Formats: sequence, structure tokens, C-alpha cells
Amino acid sequence: MILTDRTFRTLLNREILRFTRVWMQTIVPQLLTSLLYLVVFGIALGGRIKEINGIPYLEYILPGIALMSLITNSQMNSSWSVFDAKRERYIDEVLISPMSDLQITLAYSLGGMLRGVVMGAGVFLVGIPFVGVSIEHPFLLVFIGLLASFTFSAFGTMVGALATKIEHISFLTSVVIQPLAFLGGVFYSVEMLPQSLKLATLLNPIFHTVDATRYATLGISDVNPYPTIAIVLLLAALSFAGAWWTIHRGPNLRY
Amino acid sequence: MTGVTPALRIEKLTKTYSTGLLALDGVSLEIESGKFFGLLGPNGAGKTTLINSVVSLARPDSGSVEVYGKDAFREFREARRMIGLSPQEINLDKFLTVEEALLFHAGYYGVPKVKAKVRANELLERFGLVGKRDQRTNTLSGGMKRRVLFARALMHDPKILFLDEPTAGVDVELRYKLWEYIRELNRGGLTILLTTHYLEEAEALCEEIALINDGKIAAQGTSGDLKEHYGARNIEEVYMKVIGHDSDR
Repeated sequence: MILTDRTFRTLLNREILRFTRVWMQTIVPQLLTSLLYLVVFGIALGGRIKEINGIPYLEYILPGIALMSLITNSQMNSSWSVFDAKRERYIDEVLISPMSDLQITLAYSLGGMLRGVVMGAGVFLVGIPFVGVSIEHPFLLVFIGLLASFTFSAFGTMVGALATKIEHISFLTSVVIQPLAFLGGVFYSVEMLPQSLKLATLLNPIFHTVDATRYATLGISDVNPYPTIAIVLLLAALSFAGAWWTIHRGPNLRY
Repeated sequence: MTGVTPALRIEKLTKTYSTGLLALDGVSLEIESGKFFGLLGPNGAGKTTLINSVVSLARPDSGSVEVYGKDAFREFREARRMIGLSPQEINLDKFLTVEEALLFHAGYYGVPKVKAKVRANELLERFGLVGKRDQRTNTLSGGMKRRVLFARALMHDPKILFLDEPTAGVDVELRYKLWEYIRELNRGGLTILLTTHYLEEAEALCEEIALINDGKIAAQGTSGDLKEHYGARNIEEVYMKVIGHDSDR
């Protein structure tokens, strides 16, 4: 009912149309950034690292870079979409429609999730000519990709609905998500860190998604992947609940 | 009127904003099906808050709202499907073209695609928007945007239409065209709730008028009743007597 309802499908289509229509802003620059990471870290600096846990360095960092792109894009998509709609008040059209708040939250979150997945898959495709990755657990990879993308897209929906200034949205991307992504073990194994930093990394939610992605792709991970997947599931539930609450009862949409 | 379900029934609606402002103070109002109803009052009187409370953009503290017998909060899907709203502030989706704005709106209300396409063509024609159908809404002039808002509000064939200050900033030609069309829709059975600052227009168009001030209904009746009751020649005089009197307190 929720997912087949025309009202819900229309909002989801609108969300997809939004990022595909401006693909020169939403897709191309992000893919280029990821390609630069591969070139700079993988090819230029990677020559000095050779391999981690028996895996060539470029191959080791590819899943993490794909996931970093997936996470930043999914949260950016929904946070900007909701914030823009709220700032220019066209979100009112959706809020007064016969859609439930649950459907509204889900449509924004799934729209962002799809952009994240497109970007994550795009980075893999761009990276394959360099490393020729073979995927160890493809179904798990798709599952983790969807779950991580949904989690951060729902989080973006919540922030977009709560934000009252553009700065709040850019703060989320550049001061919260990107540093956490860089410190989430994309470019190194936590085993290479001192004990205190290793413990701190375990508190970083992005680390768990990166580690689980690496396990699904390469079959290696820093921590046992299954408790990690449980943590990501919990994060997804918490983010979505938060997003739903801000759409339903949050202070800045309805008065 | 016993036994006939009113188009809109509002009972003891109260709304206090977080700033402490009491925007609606126990408002009760009933609009018969098929009526052209005018809601008049000064800025900040509570007109938009009243409309927003019916469509759940404002969260009332207490009171009840029914749209054709459907509870606006518990049966919100059914209630909202029957309401069309042309808001005071222009709020068009800037990512969409004019035609898409209409089609997506219909989709949000569950209207099947084929039906929506036919309706969109009809309304684009009606509002002189055919030449603009593929233009993005954010590139339109103010008057054109206003036309899209009217067309959008009618896309899902509502049973009651809320027009919140629809002619603010609209040129004379469009205003007359709009009134002509709205009258025609009303003759076809559409219930209309209009808020406006143009008192002579309210007098010409509305069968029944309510004056709202400080979140309360200060007077209500047909234009003839109100003029007789207040010994006034026109609605402007009634307005001055009721609102002016209230403002003096």
C-alpha cells in the first residue's frame, strides 16, 4: 500500500527527476572527485604502500572510495532536496496532499538512496579498468550499499527538515560526513592505527559501513562483518525514525 | 439545513503560535456545499492560519474540522483529496516545467496519469499557459506563476477550493478572467472559500461573508444581511464598522 500508492510513487519519481535532470551538477563532478582519489591515493601514493592485508593498495581502497561517494551523495541529495523545498515552501504542496508523513519521509529517503547507489556503482565501474575487482559476496555488497545509502539519505532528510540556514547543510557535509568518511578506514586498515585511535574509529558509524563493504567486495575486514551489519541496520532504523519524526512533528515544516 | 453535510465544518478551533500569539480563538464556521464564501479581515486576523489548520500546515491546539463529513485529521487522506488550495505565497516546484507541475500535483493526489494529462491540457488552455507548458516554473513572471497556482489547485478536481488572497499582485485582466472562471466553477457546484483584501470583489462574488478579527469571527451572514444589520451601504462600511470598532478597543 505505502509503496504502490500513486501519491508516494509520484514524489519518489520527482526526487529521481530532480537529480537526473541536473546530472552535470549531481553526478559528473562527484564521479570526477572519486576518480581523482583513485589516481592520487591509489596510483601516485599507492606505489609506496603496495598492499594491505595481502591486497594491492588500489584494490584495497576502491570499495571504501565507492562507499564514501555513496554516503556523501545520498545525504547531500535528500538534505538539499528537503531544505530547498522547505525554503521555497513547495514542500507545502506535498505536506497538504493525501500522502502520509511516513510516505513523504520514505520518498525523500529512497530518492537520496538511489542517487547514492548510482554514485557508488559508478565509482566501481570507473575503478574496474584500474584494478579489475572481482566481488567476493555480490549480494552482500548490494545489501550493504542499499542499507548504507538509505541510512545516510534518511539522516540527510532529517537534517534538511531541521536546518534553518544553508550553513547547516554544508556543515553536515563538510564538517561531519566528509571527515568521518576520511577517518572511517577508507584509505587504511585500522590495524595500522595506535590503540586509542583504533577504539575511536570503532565509534565512527562510517567505519562500519566501509569495513562491511570491503568484506563484501574483497573478503577481508578489520572487524567481524556480521555484528557490523547489525550496527548498520540499527543506524538505518534510527536515522529513518529521526527523519520521520522531523517530517511528522519537527518544528520547521508545520506550525 | 439539518441532514445536509456541510462542505466545511470548523468547531471551536484554537491555535496558539510558539511565540504565544493566539491566532485562532475558538473559531466555529460552517460552509454549505456549493457556496461562494468570503473570509475577510485585516492582516494577521487569522485567515491564513484558519486555512492552514484545515490542511494541517498549522497544528491547532484544539477544535475539530470536517470536510464533507470527513475528519480533517483522522481521515486526512479523504479530507485532503477534496480540498484544492491556491496559497497566498507562490510555492511552485522550481525543478519542474509548468506542465510537470500540474501532472506531479495530480500524482500527489493519486489521479491516474491519463486523466491527469487530459485535465492538464484543459487547464493549460483555460489559463493561457499552453505556450509556457515546457518552461521551468522559476523562469515565469509573477502573474504567470499565479496562473499555474490556480491551475494546480484544480488539477485533482477538488470539491472545495481555498483561494487565499489570490489576486494580490495580479493584473486587472487576469483578475477579471479569474473571477469569471471561478464563478463558472462555483455555478458548476464547486464550493469556494475566498480570502481577500478587495472588499468590493468579495461583495460581488460571495454569497456569504464572515469577518474575522483577532482570531475570532466578528460577524457573519449574506452580504444583504450584514448591510442591513449594520445599517451600511456596502461591505466596506460593514467592514469598517465591525473591524474598525474592534480595533478601537
